[in-house]
Amino acid sequence: MTIIARRLAGHAARGIVMVFAVATISFFIIRNIPGDPMAARYQKLLEQGMSPEAAERATTVMYGFMPKGTLWEQYTDYIAGLFTFDLGVSVTNPGTPVTEVLGEAAKWTVLPVLAGTLLSFLLGVVMGVYAAVKRTGKLGDLLAISGSLLHGVPQYVLALLMMAIFTTILAVLPAGGTADILFEPGFNAGYIGSLIEHATLPVLTYALASYGGWTLAMKSSVVTVLGDDFILAAELRGLKRSIVFRYVARNAILPLFTILALSLGMLFGGAIFIEKIFNYPGLGFLLLESVTNRDYALMGGAFLLITLAIVVANILADLFYTVIDPRVRSGGEVS
Amino acid sequence: MSVLLEGSTTSATMRRNFWRGVWRVMRRKPSRLAGAVILLGFAVMAVFGPMFYPEHLPRDLAAGVYAQPSAEHWFGTDGQGRDVVALVVTGSRYVLLSALVTAVVTVVLGAAIGLFAGFRRGRWDTALMRLTDMKLTIPGLPLLLVLSTIWKFGSAVEMGLLLGLLGWGAVARAVRAQTLSLRERGFIEAARGLGLSTTHIVGKELLPSMAPYVAMNMLIAVTGAVYAQVGLFFLGVLPYEADNWGVMLNLAVFGGGAMTTTAALPYMLAPLLAILLLTLGIVLVVDAMDEIFNPRLREE
Amino acid sequence: MAHPATAQAPGVRIDGLTVVYRTPAGELPAVRDVSLTLEPGSITGIVGESGSGKSTLALSLLNAVQPPGRIAAGSVEIDGLGDVARFEGERLRKARGAHIGYVFQAAQNSLNPLKTVGKQLLDLGRSHGVDDLRGLVREARELLGRMGLDGARVLDSHQHELSGGMRQRVGIMLALVLNAHLVVLDEPTTALDMITQANILRIVREVHAERGLTTLVITHDIGVVAEVADRLAVMYGGRLVEQGPTREVLGAPSHPYTRGLITAIPRLTGDIDEARALPGRPPTLVTVPKEGCVFRERCALRMDVCDTDDPAAAEHGARVVACHAVKVREHA
Repeated sequence: MTIIARRLAGHAARGIVMVFAVATISFFIIRNIPGDPMAARYQKLLEQGMSPEAAERATTVMYGFMPKGTLWEQYTDYIAGLFTFDLGVSVTNPGTPVTEVLGEAAKWTVLPVLAGTLLSFLLGVVMGVYAAVKRTGKLGDLLAISGSLLHGVPQYVLALLMMAIFTTILAVLPAGGTADILFEPGFNAGYIGSLIEHATLPVLTYALASYGGWTLAMKSSVVTVLGDDFILAAELRGLKRSIVFRYVARNAILPLFTILALSLGMLFGGAIFIEKIFNYPGLGFLLLESVTNRDYALMGGAFLLITLAIVVANILADLFYTVIDPRVRSGGEVS
Repeated sequence: MSVLLEGSTTSATMRRNFWRGVWRVMRRKPSRLAGAVILLGFAVMAVFGPMFYPEHLPRDLAAGVYAQPSAEHWFGTDGQGRDVVALVVTGSRYVLLSALVTAVVTVVLGAAIGLFAGFRRGRWDTALMRLTDMKLTIPGLPLLLVLSTIWKFGSAVEMGLLLGLLGWGAVARAVRAQTLSLRERGFIEAARGLGLSTTHIVGKELLPSMAPYVAMNMLIAVTGAVYAQVGLFFLGVLPYEADNWGVMLNLAVFGGGAMTTTAALPYMLAPLLAILLLTLGIVLVVDAMDEIFNPRLREE
Repeated sequence: MAHPATAQAPGVRIDGLTVVYRTPAGELPAVRDVSLTLEPGSITGIVGESGSGKSTLALSLLNAVQPPGRIAAGSVEIDGLGDVARFEGERLRKARGAHIGYVFQAAQNSLNPLKTVGKQLLDLGRSHGVDDLRGLVREARELLGRMGLDGARVLDSHQHELSGGMRQRVGIMLALVLNAHLVVLDEPTTALDMITQANILRIVREVHAERGLTTLVITHDIGVVAEVADRLAVMYGGRLVEQGPTREVLGAPSHPYTRGLITAIPRLTGDIDEARALPGRPPTLVTVPKEGCVFRERCALRMDVCDTDDPAAAEHGARVVACHAVKVREHA
């Protein structure tokens, strides 16, 4: 158990450094924005007859950022804000704290990403095993090449093609949004049906975009394990094919679980294209909107949250690995 | 298997085996030759293509805007009546030039840092690899989006430079791993024992033997960079004045309404096809390289 | 003792065995026209340098030559089983493990890293239709205890928790637990320290006698063979160049290669300069001569006939030697 704790502590420490790094990047970017909107705002409030103290407070609330003071004061104030989850107020959603806007957006990212990733993971693993076992045949070749292609094609290309086929040409699926406005949001069949209908294309695109990667990763993992001595040993001991297959599968899938957790984290950031194309109001969409609208508090918050998702995914991946791999559990090294 | 060919490993025979491997792979699957041909085609298009067009593409008023494909305009016209094929050709220069810059930066930085870490080991190695790890975990696209608020990437070189600075991590890891594994096999110690200088070991022995590996990782990094920059333009966070496939995509989808009507579809499809073809080329080349250098995947 | 010695030990007759590997240069033989008899209840040692084809020969005993290799000719006749080289599918699978035990080199990871030894033992039992799994576990524990291990604890361990010597004993246990009476040990002592080596060899000898086995030991270490084997076979370039009773072969080697091997061993007592390494390098699959004697390039007794004719294996009393020079000397 102490080994798990030590690994966890290491990850947490690295995670905190990461979050700091990202917060620092955000800070410097916001501070170096051309035209310095915070100073401008502060000046404007002063001109409107506000006292300097009140104007400063108002600006700070707005941007989560002190308009005056030395670099160091501004920086410590910004970081201190992070610790109290005070990320400022979103300009595009007047009066709403950034954290609330982020929370609302996060749920539209988490569910489709999760569904799409799990779908592609299952499919990819099965196809990968097949491609590895049949790697001398035509079909295995086809699977591998199609996997490479799908893996290689950028998400937005897939998303645009899906959109062109299913909404523009065939017009069988809705072009965007989360649900039809005709339905009352809530637990009723119409709304839920509409939710599913709207989520279909984003989920399918996530699945299609990562399916190739899983196929390739599983194929190469299976090929590696098939060359391991213990598989030959199992065959020479006359183990049943089904049991040998299980040995191969379990050993081959192990490294993929780590990638699974990591890719879930990464997808939060990668969801930008798909959410933009399908007009889906998730985190990526939010980040993009905040950049376009120059809503800096929101931008910093979204960037931070996406990073945090990756850090958490890293930790989860490691924990998960510790649970399923006995070698890590007892402190041995993993090859 | 110990019975199988334990050839000598001097660099001369390695090179010979390499070309023999290339030849064998190409001969067995000619489709892989197509990959090289495609990449060459794109290079020619980017270098010479724009020379055939005036700086400001003419508007074909007779054809109109969003014209459907015809003999004159293979992929129709855009929202201003310009030929879509011409736009793809002129746009390729930005895309490929910045990809080239990214490639150079990625390889130089990645190889240098990876070699240094693998060669020095110890504290330097730990520090550099921590840094690389961290850089690999910072989400790239969101970072680019955030950076776009203060940096406009007007020129392809600037864009390539930034993407290279963000993308050397994978190559550095690969080079470090290779260096360490060569070291483990006693390669470096043996060379030292022969009285060879460090520059000689690195330049004449290490680098050549890992060049194909580096090249493969570089190609992958470059693919990512191409997608990232086209994607950034597509998202509309960068200026529309640049000639880039991403700008075409953005205008087709968000300006031409490709999501609701079929009129702008050809305009959208042309850059998509260009990206797909480029991807196909890179995938085929990487696949061929993989087969040449990774005997375990070799189909015997 | 529960197992009457030699009562069940099978004899093995390998006849004209040729194993080829497919390479870009065509099919090349790794083992060529090898004939060898394992007497019931004997321990036979096969010695050779790496690339001599000894591992391939060992795998042939289970008809388990890995692609791109295949048995091209010859038979492997095992008492009570038949010609294993003709076996396929389920029949072959059931012969492996239940009748023929194979023990991997200790440095190789022959265990599934994710499962405990005990669970893998149960997998083995289920694969071979053992009904009494409790009995199997008891037997395994006894065997491990016999080899000086804490059986219950070992069965509860993962591979990475075991030392090289322990893994080797687990390998022996898994090879014997189904009551196989033909055992192949592939480099049983390689990568082990000296004390563990001695222990493993003692265990091999004792278990062999107690359970009534026919044992084949593959090694590059003549010392190992001298320690355990009744008979010794020497391989070079895929050919069996000499075989005979261990003492005779080691005491008075006939084939120039065997002689070279023995003079190459440094002794603890005596001058280190007396040990002379064989000149040249052993051939690989690609460099092995297509015709004539495989050893002629490094041979001190090379004659013209060696360039063209591959010497046939000829019996000389209890000895079988494949060498033109040896023949000439006898006839002269």
